[in-house]
Amino acid sequence: MNGPFAAFKWKAALRDWVIFADGLKTTIAVSMVALAIALIIGVILGVFGTSHNKILKKINRVYVSVIQNTPLVIQVFFLYNMLPHLGIMLPVFTVGAIGVGIYHGAYIAEVVRGGIEAVPRGQMEAAISQGFTYTEAMKHIILPQAVKLMLPPLTNQAVSLIKNTSVMAMIAGGDLMYQADSWSSYNLYYGPAYVITGMLYLLLCLPLARFATKLELRTGV
Amino acid sequence: MKGVKVLILGLLMVFGLSLIGCSSSSQKASSSGEAQDIKAIKDRGVLRVGVKVDVPKFGYRDPKTNKIDGFEIDIARAIAKKILGDENKIEFQAVNAKTRGPLLDSGQVDIVAATFTITEERKQSYNFSDPYFTDGVGLLVKKDSGIKDLKGLNGKKIGVAQSATSKKAIQEEADKLGIKVSFLEFSTYPEIKAALDSGRIDCFSVDGAILNGYLDGSTVILDERFSPQNYGIASKKGNDALAKLVNDTIKEMKDSGEIDNLIKKWGIK
Repeated sequence: MNGPFAAFKWKAALRDWVIFADGLKTTIAVSMVALAIALIIGVILGVFGTSHNKILKKINRVYVSVIQNTPLVIQVFFLYNMLPHLGIMLPVFTVGAIGVGIYHGAYIAEVVRGGIEAVPRGQMEAAISQGFTYTEAMKHIILPQAVKLMLPPLTNQAVSLIKNTSVMAMIAGGDLMYQADSWSSYNLYYGPAYVITGMLYLLLCLPLARFATKLELRTGV
Repeated sequence: MKGVKVLILGLLMVFGLSLIGCSSSSQKASSSGEAQDIKAIKDRGVLRVGVKVDVPKFGYRDPKTNKIDGFEIDIARAIAKKILGDENKIEFQAVNAKTRGPLLDSGQVDIVAATFTITEERKQSYNFSDPYFTDGVGLLVKKDSGIKDLKGLNGKKIGVAQSATSKKAIQEEADKLGIKVSFLEFSTYPEIKAALDSGRIDCFSVDGAILNGYLDGSTVILDERFSPQNYGIASKKGNDALAKLVNDTIKEMKDSGEIDNLIKKWGIK
């Protein structure tokens, strides 16, 4: 029996499982750091987007437009190969986490802005009239209500984020995709390599996606 | 529970695919005495060959004329002439290290002549002809790095191409010298060059012949060459008549001195 899925190729893949496990570990670690960065950027810039301050609003618009309308591949390539020419040499893990974090930060900013804008305006007016400052009202009244609306789309963002860390394969990032490429391109046993890799991504993302569906049902949006 | 179902469904799809892969890979000789794999090419009237288009002197598309030319192109033409009696009944498809295996498996190309190094592992997946060229792994470094040999790369990072055999070759040499090096793999040669330029890696290492295409004013190729790599023409397992014909052609070209002439023609060292 031969072909891309020959039995001996599966055996070889299973024998070298440590390589795939290593990649999976890196993918999970990068995803977690990137998600934290994306959430911080997203919440701050999302709030900027709903602000009445024109400058803050402008910052939100520029950031979201630039990041959403350029390919992630180029952004990561820039961090990896251009910054060193300016004397900044970030480790590849950092490049992956920051690159993907910045990218999804822009999408999360939109989710956050949408969530806040969906909270009736009377809530903010009532809070202000009760003596809350804008920041306090945001923190105690608006955001807690908005979070409920934001959770399902945020979870979907987390799923996309995990998949997008595969961009690190391009910059020798040691993630799951890179390990699969590296392993399979040497021996050319690409069949099992990509099936196993696909399954591992599915294993990471599917529970999250199903969690998002559940949340959507619960909040009724 | 639904998640489990999806996973099982996914697995079933995969095994379904593997079955299709098996059934389509079996080839039998037809009753007319001519093997089916050769007949299919004759019926089509054109030989489909996977070649490199980014390796000067081996397989390179001239951006001015848009024509693909090189040592391996000439060999492929000789094989087309052998099968179809006309060296122009040939169709080239650009391949890289990552696509050449899948293209063979799916039957989109009949043979691959693309600086394809013969290894024991690869022989299990594809038929390889006898080697038509032997090349060593070379090292390209920045001039201002002051690196003169492999020893000078102790503790440094070396950029290699995915699927290239250079990683193993250099690692073995490094072990002999008792030095430590680490490897970063990229999928294309320009990406490795960009990483060398930005200082992400200290050395660009692939087969010497390929390295020549990336030499510029700021870089230098070191004199050392490691673990000779044999290039062979690959074809799909099962197409055994084609593999034999390819091998016979290579053998004839070697015996007649044509291969040596081609190497001289293209100025390959």
